[in-house]
Amino acid sequence: MKGRVYKFAGVALVLYSLIYGLLTSIPELPIIEQSIRNLFYHVSMWFTMVAMMAASFGNAIGYLSKENLQRDIRSVSQAEVGMLFAILGLVTGMMWAKFTWGAWWTNDPKLNGSAITILIYLAYFVLRNAMDDERKRARISAVYNIFAFVMMIVFIGILPRMTDSLHPGNGGNPGFNSYDLDNRLRLVFYPAVVGWIFIGTWIASLRYRLRKLQA
Amino acid sequence: MTQILPLIKRFFQQELRNSNALFSLGLYLMGITYLIYLLGGNNAADNTWNTLLWVVVFFAAVTQSSRSFELESSDYFYYYQTVAGPGPTIIAKLLFNASYMAVLALATWMLFTFFYGNSVYDPGVFALGLLLGSIGFSVVLTLTNGIASRTAGNATLSTILAIPLMFPVLKLTSTINIQAMVGVSFEDVLPLLGALGALDIAIGLLAYLLFPYLWQD
Repeated sequence: MKGRVYKFAGVALVLYSLIYGLLTSIPELPIIEQSIRNLFYHVSMWFTMVAMMAASFGNAIGYLSKENLQRDIRSVSQAEVGMLFAILGLVTGMMWAKFTWGAWWTNDPKLNGSAITILIYLAYFVLRNAMDDERKRARISAVYNIFAFVMMIVFIGILPRMTDSLHPGNGGNPGFNSYDLDNRLRLVFYPAVVGWIFIGTWIASLRYRLRKLQA
Repeated sequence: MTQILPLIKRFFQQELRNSNALFSLGLYLMGITYLIYLLGGNNAADNTWNTLLWVVVFFAAVTQSSRSFELESSDYFYYYQTVAGPGPTIIAKLLFNASYMAVLALATWMLFTFFYGNSVYDPGVFALGLLLGSIGFSVVLTLTNGIASRTAGNATLSTILAIPLMFPVLKLTSTINIQAMVGVSFEDVLPLLGALGALDIAIGLLAYLLFPYLWQD
């Protein structure tokens, strides 16, 4: 029972954010209009992705210091789930962009960052497949994972802040920055993030157990 | 320091002795620059000029660094590590690759200026961006080559690993270079230069910390 609490909590929070996210009243902003509700469904994907990649990064460091293969299996499972959420974030974002900006893809720092993140982690999976020896694969992919995570943070966390972006909350765009992310949105957004992180952790733990059985 | 300098000297000697590799790189630079010239690159606008320059430098960097662990069979590298210790060996390798990269980048810039005319308004800032950029390039490439050389000799793997990791450096550098070309004031470029320098130091430190794990069996 103890280990299941977070799974129930995750399902409940996600259901709440899915349903209440459509019902709640929203601030009326030009251009964005009703599509502001995508905050709950799109931005929470990226938060979950970063949380999963951070967990994977933590396990990679853990592997290098303790040489415990379970850490490596955890690390790769979390990276896989992070990748899933990255793709979901990209798809939800593209649909939103089509209706708000009129294009599926634009040359925006945040879009570039997410594309690069996906490429970096795809390369991580390619690297893992290139090696057969378990311990060597674990060690070398941990080294790459650590380097990749730091680069990802630079690209999605630091570079977009140095340039203008089309994204809501950046540059001169209307939207939800720290001033007008109002309480009605927060009431759905934060539970959605927590709920999806729980769900992600759950999927990662299933992948981890599956891999352990296969090994 | 006493261990790093002789190692760098040795890496350079090795490179000069193996002059065919050096000349093939030079030939690549000449050939590709002239090819772009033939295809009309001399009429390129600032943005295109900069993009072409970075594509050429990028492939030169990939070619140069793909040999960085090939020359030393891993036995050699173990030897250096036992004689000088892993830390100094990696620092020497990073410094060697960075200076080599910087020379290549400057040579490419000279060739571009020769063939397509000078498009740069502020050469000082441009050179600084080029220098910091090539340091970042070489750090990323040295690490990914180290990784690739530990897998079963997969030559393309290094490039696959390096391309996405090089984007932050590449993006910052090309922004700086564009600003140097149109002549943005130094105070406005300074934050970007600072960010690039900080990024170089950060990834250099990270590579230094992670490298010993690669050569552990």
